[in-house]
Amino acid sequence: MPTRRLSEFVQALRGAGLRISPDEAGQAMDAAALVGYARRQRFHDALAVTLVKQQQDRPPFEETFARFFEAEDSRVDPSGDMEPAMPAPAADPASAQTPEEQQAEALLASTPEQLQQRMAEAAAEMDFTQMEVITQQGLYSRRLLMNMGMGAVDDRVLQLDQGNPSQQARAEQLRQWRARVREQAAGQVRRQFLLHGAGKGRALREQTLRAVPFRDLREFRDVQALVRKMARRLASLHQRRMKTSRRGMLDARRTMVASIRHDGVPAKLFWRRRPPRKTRVMVICDVSSSVSDAARFLLQFLYAMNDVLPRVRSFAFASRFDEITDDFSRYSPEVAVGQVLDRLSGSGTDYAEMFRAFQARCERELDAHTTVIILGDARNNYLPDGAETLQAISRRVKQVWWLNPESRGRWNSGDAVMDRYLPHCRLARQCATLNDLERVVDSLLGALD
Amino acid sequence: MKTRIDSVEEITRSFAGQGYICSEQIALAIYLAAQLHKPVLVEGPPGVGKTELAKAAAAFLEAPLIRLQCYEGLDESRALYEWKYGKQLLYTQLLRDKLGGMLADTDSLEASMERLGDLGEAFYSDTFLEPRPLLHALRSDEPAVLLIDEIDKADQEFEAFLLELLSDFQISIPELGTVKAKHQPLVLLTSNDQRELSDALKRRCLHLYIPYPAAELEAQIVATRVPDLDARLREQLVAFIQHLREQDMKKLPAISETLDWARALVLLHADSLEHAQVADTLNLVLKTEQDVTLARELLPAWLRKLGKR
Repeated sequence: MPTRRLSEFVQALRGAGLRISPDEAGQAMDAAALVGYARRQRFHDALAVTLVKQQQDRPPFEETFARFFEAEDSRVDPSGDMEPAMPAPAADPASAQTPEEQQAEALLASTPEQLQQRMAEAAAEMDFTQMEVITQQGLYSRRLLMNMGMGAVDDRVLQLDQGNPSQQARAEQLRQWRARVREQAAGQVRRQFLLHGAGKGRALREQTLRAVPFRDLREFRDVQALVRKMARRLASLHQRRMKTSRRGMLDARRTMVASIRHDGVPAKLFWRRRPPRKTRVMVICDVSSSVSDAARFLLQFLYAMNDVLPRVRSFAFASRFDEITDDFSRYSPEVAVGQVLDRLSGSGTDYAEMFRAFQARCERELDAHTTVIILGDARNNYLPDGAETLQAISRRVKQVWWLNPESRGRWNSGDAVMDRYLPHCRLARQCATLNDLERVVDSLLGALD
Repeated sequence: MKTRIDSVEEITRSFAGQGYICSEQIALAIYLAAQLHKPVLVEGPPGVGKTELAKAAAAFLEAPLIRLQCYEGLDESRALYEWKYGKQLLYTQLLRDKLGGMLADTDSLEASMERLGDLGEAFYSDTFLEPRPLLHALRSDEPAVLLIDEIDKADQEFEAFLLELLSDFQISIPELGTVKAKHQPLVLLTSNDQRELSDALKRRCLHLYIPYPAAELEAQIVATRVPDLDARLREQLVAFIQHLREQDMKKLPAISETLDWARALVLLHADSLEHAQVADTLNLVLKTEQDVTLARELLPAWLRKLGKR
């Protein structure tokens, strides 16, 4: 197997979301050269050892390997059962006069195996790695057909159409044959797209997903995976920050004791560790229809970062107010969100009532280590706003943050009363897309230290 | 150290000879590591034989095994080298008179300084250097197997410090310059996945994940390590352990626990899991009270199902 196939495989893996450095690709090639290609399982294992560096990469690796080298096998072995045999139309070499016509007839005369061989050769000359989006497939299959010399056949069909009835009948026959060849070419291109284009498409799609407003986001698949991925990245970033900021004051006693060995010279310094922080985060989410989508993602995000944000208590309200921490500790975020929405959602939010209920339930636990995050649009249905209760809460805790899924310009339009709440919030942000959310959680983690 | 490895099968055979039964993937990883001169990062749940693998590899390669156990707060002075401060102090005390005599005929401070400067090198020489595992591995006269155990327990800074060693088999020491390995050691790192290791580290290593063994492999391991165990009981035991691993346990039983249990059953002269005392030995396999209780409830039901089959 030439190195080119292997580097294409690496490219396909990158497309499937694996991060592979050129050095690792080099190792994979060395390893493959060492174990040889004859034993499929061992070849597979050698690539896995050099290219798969974490367990979550395993499934995409297996999938890509199967698809890639399956395509490889069918290419090497054209008589495989990939495509049903194609009856070739009766070729009529005698009728061909010009070189183009002869070329067309030669193509028509080829057996299905020869035809597949030809297609494989034509495909090998093309660079499929530049495909990006699914709509490019048509273009690429046309190019593939041209490379095979199908242009001559097209001309031949047109030419025969002009002729006598028997020639026209033959043209019809050729058309059917051509349609089947086209299908086959499209299949070939589709496989190539899955290997090469899908990855770039994925990156593009991820960018789009991050900027789409929450309410449209539910339509997309794999959003969950993206949310988890973003949360993981952020968590690992902050784990590191936490560690470096944990070093505290000089530990004089230990430093002195250690210095006795060196005749009183403090050759090595010891530091006290800061006691672990006692921060607590409380999230209150509006889950009425207008905001529930944002709530869903905020909660998913926060619970996916369990290891850096261990003490999150969450509450939700719409027509009723209730604690939802248990739903999240017992079920996976995806399930829990659904349950909470079923239980509490409704219309007619009353923020004043919510503040009172929250205060009544949690007043004892509100202290200088607590951060309260409120997610809501502040649309109060023209009821009393209850800003004084928020003020009381705000005084007891470290900080209150307000996240609003609507754009800043609409914060006070209609029945929205953000202005009344803003003075009691240390920070208020628009939170309408995954990008916003990531930024908010990032600064939240920074503010907790 | 053995320099020529003919095939993956040779490794599997040698390991089996030492009582370390492994899947082909594991042998392949060792083969590639030795041939490509790359470190291997071995991950997997605790108790699947990650450390044993290093020992088996050392025995197979006929190389000494140098082990560095990682823990939180591990730093270069413990892992790489340390100056013997005490010895340096002692020497200066003992040599005080001698030094005084040497400096006696100098007339100015500058001249004394200069003469001392010539001597200075002597105090930062090999005599006062205390090599730690990493330096041992680099300076070893024969190629060694270096086991860096539980790298996930060390700090992230230490991980970064290892990068130079892992990619170039060399380490820079400010006072001595760069120490390059006389012979490239075979480096094995193990991790229990307590925290995510950095991409930079992973990139420099081959990656081997050792899962819990499949029933067949586990039976083979038990047969090799505890040959006295009755064959029928062995099948039963392995099947039950595999069944336990599918449960929602706090700590799943690993191979080491299977072996402990097997040995205990041999001592009890048990001939099947129905034996009255078997339930009492479950705490050899499971390490928390909750798990033991759960397993006790599971066992009769599982045996009944087995009986029906």
